[in-house]
Amino acid sequence: MSNILAKAEPYLFLTPAFAILLVFLIFPLFWNIYISFHDVSFITILKNWEYSGWKNFVDLFSDPNFYTSLKITVLFVAGSVALQFGIGMLMAVLLSQKVRAAGTLRAIFIIPWTISAVIAAFSFKFIFDYNFGILNYILQQIGLQPVGWLIDPNIVIWSLVIANMWYGTPFTMLFITAGLLSINPSIYEAAVIDGATKFRSFLHVTLPLLKPFIVINLILITMWSVNFFDLQLVMTGGGPLFASTTASLYMYRQAFEFGLLSKGAAAGLILIIINISVAFVYLKLLRR
Amino acid sequence: MQKATIRNNRVWFFAERTLIYALIAILLFVTIAPLVWVFSTSFKRNEESISFPPKFLPENVTFDNYKFVLTDPGLVHSLINSFVVSIGSTILSVTVSALGGYAFARFEFKAKNLIMSVILGLFMIPVVINIIPLYTMLSAAGLLNSSLALILTFQILIIPLNILLLKNYFETIPKDLEESALIDGCSRLGVLRRITMPLSMPGFAIAAVLAFRFSWNEFILPIVLANRPDSMVFQVALYQFISIYRIEWGYLTAGITLAIIPVLVLMLVFQKQMIRGLTLGAIRE
Repeated sequence: MSNILAKAEPYLFLTPAFAILLVFLIFPLFWNIYISFHDVSFITILKNWEYSGWKNFVDLFSDPNFYTSLKITVLFVAGSVALQFGIGMLMAVLLSQKVRAAGTLRAIFIIPWTISAVIAAFSFKFIFDYNFGILNYILQQIGLQPVGWLIDPNIVIWSLVIANMWYGTPFTMLFITAGLLSINPSIYEAAVIDGATKFRSFLHVTLPLLKPFIVINLILITMWSVNFFDLQLVMTGGGPLFASTTASLYMYRQAFEFGLLSKGAAAGLILIIINISVAFVYLKLLRR
Repeated sequence: MQKATIRNNRVWFFAERTLIYALIAILLFVTIAPLVWVFSTSFKRNEESISFPPKFLPENVTFDNYKFVLTDPGLVHSLINSFVVSIGSTILSVTVSALGGYAFARFEFKAKNLIMSVILGLFMIPVVINIIPLYTMLSAAGLLNSSLALILTFQILIIPLNILLLKNYFETIPKDLEESALIDGCSRLGVLRRITMPLSMPGFAIAAVLAFRFSWNEFILPIVLANRPDSMVFQVALYQFISIYRIEWGYLTAGITLAIIPVLVLMLVFQKQMIRGLTLGAIRE
């Protein structure tokens, strides 16, 4: 008896955590599939849900706004990942160059990442404001025309990319810093003794050793940019019209703005597939 | 010849240092300028905050914006909600994660590696994908617009991370102390509470600060699951606020500053440990 109990003990310790994760994280993934094959909206949510076959997916793929949202997602993700990675890497490498007060600088660079996305969004909404924003003021001071940062459909997504760069870059810096710290300094010394210049030793010694960190970092920030829509929701609500509605925001808007929960769930399923593909592609790259 | 090379090297060295510090200065400016601008605006009168040309520093420092935010019944109520939800969520997640982390740190069991890799895999699931199913589930359970709904759903953001954090911390504590207590007839739970926990306070502190940070900052789950005036948290209230007071930037920037303070204070206090924790925590986003 006590033997069985002793065997069961670790599982008992894990039960509360696992119960919560099962109910609120794992089960909903499958429930999402169920919803996407039924007719669920704000009107029908409390009634019986009727099976609707592929209707929600047909609706989804015949909606031009969905295709627009996929296109915008590509722009948003490509822009965000390129800038966050480039600048985050630069920050991490600069701070590793025996800089004064590197610890304090690092703590300051992290600040954007410790505040909420809503706050970041409001701050940038304020800065990008067409009439009262500081950015347009500066442009006019130097004799340029004001720009419709958040109201011009062709520009709005790039304004969001800039806000996302500001908000997300600290994470890449942290992650790459952790990678740089994990590299044994004697490896550099060896390279320098062999007569390698700093730049060459970075290219041929540091980068290859950093590769696993870089790939995981890229997976995370890519997936994050695909799914992240706090900034868009607060700064533009996805507008003007659908000009800044990325796929994840499209899912949210269908469900909670238009009340079409099952169409949103269908979009969510596509989003899961996109996420899995992203992870898969990068992991393939890592293996090579 | 030799001297020339050395001088050349020195020139290069200074050029390189100048470049490094110049780049750092630019990055520093870009990082803090938006927040300084918001902070400065929060002390301006509303006419001044939208005046053109903008003033970089408030002409007459005023606390009226803060007074407004802190006396608006709806906003104050949402601030209280935020504290209730964040503290509740922190306590629940640290308790549950401590039990889970302890199981990984101290027991040998069959499915250990399997369960560990499941937890690592759970890190990768983007939580936003769950908002629609969670909405229908909590609606059916009658839990929409309750603090409990937020406290429970926030756990999925925090638990996997905190289990890992606490497991790692428990592993740094020698087993001998626990073993003698076990021989004295203390139960495992008793050992965790009386011996392991007091020795792991720094680990618990990091876990609690991270849990608080995630709970306080979360926006998407609350806006979907609790958006009624009586149940909304501060982040959601600020969002609603903008549709009511469209261009009252003075009020809004004051609200922003207030929303930043709790987490920023915690981060500054636990700065060193946080950087480690955050690197792990980042995976959650």
